[in-house]
Amino acid sequence: MNLILLASDVSVLIAQKLAGGTELINKLEKPLLGVLVLVIMFGMGATLNLNDFKVALKKPKGILVGFLSQFGFMPALAFGISWVFQLDPQNAIALILIGCLPAGSTSNMFAYFSRGDLALSISMTSASTLMAIIMTPILLVFYGGLSIGGTESFTTQLGAQMEGGKFVIPVKDIIVSLLVVMVPVIGGMILLKKSPGWAKAAEDTAGFAGILVILFLLASVLARHSDLIVATDWKIILSSILVGLAGFKFGYLFSWLLGLPPRFRRTISLETGIQNGPLAFAIVLLTFGGSTAEKNLLANQMLWLPILYSMFIVITSSVVTLIYRKIGKDDYELYVNEGVQKKLFGPHYRDGMSGPKAAV
Amino acid sequence: MSLKAKNLAEMYEQAAIVYGDRAAFATKQKDKTWKPITYKELYQTGVDLATSLIHLGVKQRDHVGLIADNRVEWIIADYACQLSGSTDVPRGADITDDEIKYILDHCGAKVAFIENVALVERVKKAKLKSLTHMILMDPHEKAPKGVLHINDLIKDGEKLREKGDRKVEERVAGIQPDDLFTIIYTSGTTGAPKGVMLSHENVISQLSRIPIEINPLDRILSILPVWHIFERVFEMFAIYNGSCTYYTNVRALGDDLKNVRPTFMGSAPRLWENIHAKILANVEKAHPVRRALFHISYFCSRMFQGSTYFLTFRKLDLEGRNILVSLGMGIFHLLRWVFFLPWYGLFNASVLERLRLAAGGDLKASISGGGALPPHIDEFFNYIGIPVLEGYGMTETSPVIACRTFSRLVLSSVGPIFPDTELRLFDINSGELIYPNPNKPNGGKGIKGEIHVRGPQVMRGYYKNPEATKKVLKDGFMNTGDIGMITFNDCLKIMGRSKDTIVLSSGENVEPVPIEGKLLDSPLIDHVMVVGQDEKFLTVLVVPSVDGFKEIGITGNVEELSKNQEVEKKISQIVKSAVSAETGFKSFERLQDFRLLPKTFEVGDEITNLFKLKRHVITEKYKKQIADMYRSSK
Repeated sequence: MNLILLASDVSVLIAQKLAGGTELINKLEKPLLGVLVLVIMFGMGATLNLNDFKVALKKPKGILVGFLSQFGFMPALAFGISWVFQLDPQNAIALILIGCLPAGSTSNMFAYFSRGDLALSISMTSASTLMAIIMTPILLVFYGGLSIGGTESFTTQLGAQMEGGKFVIPVKDIIVSLLVVMVPVIGGMILLKKSPGWAKAAEDTAGFAGILVILFLLASVLARHSDLIVATDWKIILSSILVGLAGFKFGYLFSWLLGLPPRFRRTISLETGIQNGPLAFAIVLLTFGGSTAEKNLLANQMLWLPILYSMFIVITSSVVTLIYRKIGKDDYELYVNEGVQKKLFGPHYRDGMSGPKAAV
Repeated sequence: MSLKAKNLAEMYEQAAIVYGDRAAFATKQKDKTWKPITYKELYQTGVDLATSLIHLGVKQRDHVGLIADNRVEWIIADYACQLSGSTDVPRGADITDDEIKYILDHCGAKVAFIENVALVERVKKAKLKSLTHMILMDPHEKAPKGVLHINDLIKDGEKLREKGDRKVEERVAGIQPDDLFTIIYTSGTTGAPKGVMLSHENVISQLSRIPIEINPLDRILSILPVWHIFERVFEMFAIYNGSCTYYTNVRALGDDLKNVRPTFMGSAPRLWENIHAKILANVEKAHPVRRALFHISYFCSRMFQGSTYFLTFRKLDLEGRNILVSLGMGIFHLLRWVFFLPWYGLFNASVLERLRLAAGGDLKASISGGGALPPHIDEFFNYIGIPVLEGYGMTETSPVIACRTFSRLVLSSVGPIFPDTELRLFDINSGELIYPNPNKPNGGKGIKGEIHVRGPQVMRGYYKNPEATKKVLKDGFMNTGDIGMITFNDCLKIMGRSKDTIVLSSGENVEPVPIEGKLLDSPLIDHVMVVGQDEKFLTVLVVPSVDGFKEIGITGNVEELSKNQEVEKKISQIVKSAVSAETGFKSFERLQDFRLLPKTFEVGDEITNLFKLKRHVITEKYKKQIADMYRSSK
């Protein structure tokens, strides 16, 4: 098959494994993955309060900048990295898919600990999750079909490998799977409205279970396929690390250029770089896979990059968070102190400026 | 940024110049809003009031009474005393009639600031000979006849200043380092109060050496009585560094932690025990999943932080390990540290942060003083990520003798000796020098002894009481009456109070405080006191907790509870299980009997403002119950 000829070493190896009856993600891991997505999305919903949205929309600049950064820079960065490294089309489209996805729910925790703005982080995550239903397919089709510098677009390249000579991004299926994913989010929101106590428990449980399951999945997949890591081209590994780091960098720079305060910069930076990894698995399995052996092979090959991304993003975002925490100490303390004093002393109070005369 | 002042009055002036329009203090008003006062306003008001004091006839080095609880007028009055070159003699509004008479008479105050009209009436009744002027502090009350009002004096002073009065400047220039800034009468568990004379040099030596960094963006929540030296020096330290101090009280603490989001808070062990109990109660009430998460998180944190402490040489070492053992433990801890790092990271972020939010979420450290912090409370706060900087000191040493720092945070110790302070330990029985003594094994480290200190913080003596002074001060060394030990990581560990120690008839010495701390862990118990001096065994007096029993469905006031069979059964179980071999107590430390008391312990009566038991008072008051417990053994 010409499919194997054009692909990178790791994709070849995956194809060989599949031919030998070994799927990248086995029968046990697939349902676990489904549960993971369900739990994570439910937990996200349990943090979502419509009032918070309304408050966030009153000062929309942060969300707007975040939106541009998430759906403007991130897909472009993913495409740029794929193009510069000339990744094979399976991995390139997987990377672009990661770039087009909404922010991951762990971004909230990282934003909080980087002394960022938790409210902005939550509204950015949820807004992007909602917007993804439209944005992800549009962007994926656009960047997948984009050809620059005379090279063929990644979809055309992939199509050339397929039996029919043509590959179309399954837009409808992607929209459907994103809509399906919204069901647990709405479930979580209803729970929050009905019983805030249980919603808190759900939020904790989801965050915790989510991390446990993803760690288990990563460990299990990597343990069974340790040969894949060795076989993976350094360009693919580098791409999977770089896409997150570039997202952090551009998110920060962009919001800095637009004059947002450091707290927002840190938040937008992390929100831009941290994507919803489990959602990438779900979409690949639900929409790119399918009945035919060819599609199944494609799905298997496309899963490898999200696995690498999910593994590395945990490490890079932890490191970046620690750095942000350190450099953000002063501006955060200033911000908190101003906030507390305004709240306690009245909205017009400015520390260090002449305050209201204290009558004794 | 720190100030260079020779005395408090200069320090106040410099703070006004450097920190100017920043908020110095904030107090809650009746309508729940907070009112700040800036450094400049505070200084200006202080100067005006000082001018009036001088005009009233207050001379340099005169003593001025100051009877009030925490309020912004307290600080203003203190400013005025320092700026007029006089010495204040503070005491809280919980002062007893006997104390009013004794203290104000003993210090010879001609002028006294009094918080409110009710107190003014009580002072009047004491018929003090030397007192000529009383100044009412509460701005919402009208001064009775013959009593001045602080606001009028401030206005008068302002007018005098406008006319060119510059006496304050002369007074400030005339302050000598040896002049007293305050005389604090110790509440003392026995005998008449003693007036501790503390000089400007004493307090400045503390301010310039406290090894904690705070800055103008720090918020300090204040709950201890300001007339107590620990709180007072902490507030002075906040002024010195331009931070803002927010006044709260026990009832409002929960709310104010969330409103003020303090970055530092100083308090006595009892308060940390309360917060600890509240956090645990919330955990118990929480959803089972969250409860399990908490326990897993705490475990991971304990493993990770425990290894961090070891690897950074901050694990308590009382025996001096040999190198091989240390090396072996080092490798073990390194592996454990690496293994728990990701788990700790995860749980710290997802679970422990929630707990820290209960304390506002921004606490950089809690500062504990005024009594020994029970080890498990200490561990709890450190492991959930709120470092506890425990200090050790006393009024007589204005107050700090030793204090933990972030880099020398050794659990169960009170940290390294304060800079420029000499410390000696003496054998309690033989009086032999234990530390520093090159003839002792390890130079005297790891051996218990009575603590004596010399340094710039040691008091000038007890006012008009040379006999008592002579008893505790020899060659500049202050006998603290505490028993301690120098650890092998050069920190001080306090082992007990030589006066608290209960000596059983068998000759065994028992420190009651750890036992009491263990019992106080129970939410069903409010107060306890272990007794047994010269008896064969220990017993305990217990005040059941009204709130605690309400939680489990038994209602009633303390008196009703003390007669309730159910309550007795519950307490009996706690007394038996809390102090046992399993919980690390020796057999002679076990409690053989207990009595429920019909009345709670009140601040000022049975306990001091710092929640220290006045053991003699309680023993006297409940001698019948105590005798009853030992009747059968005789």
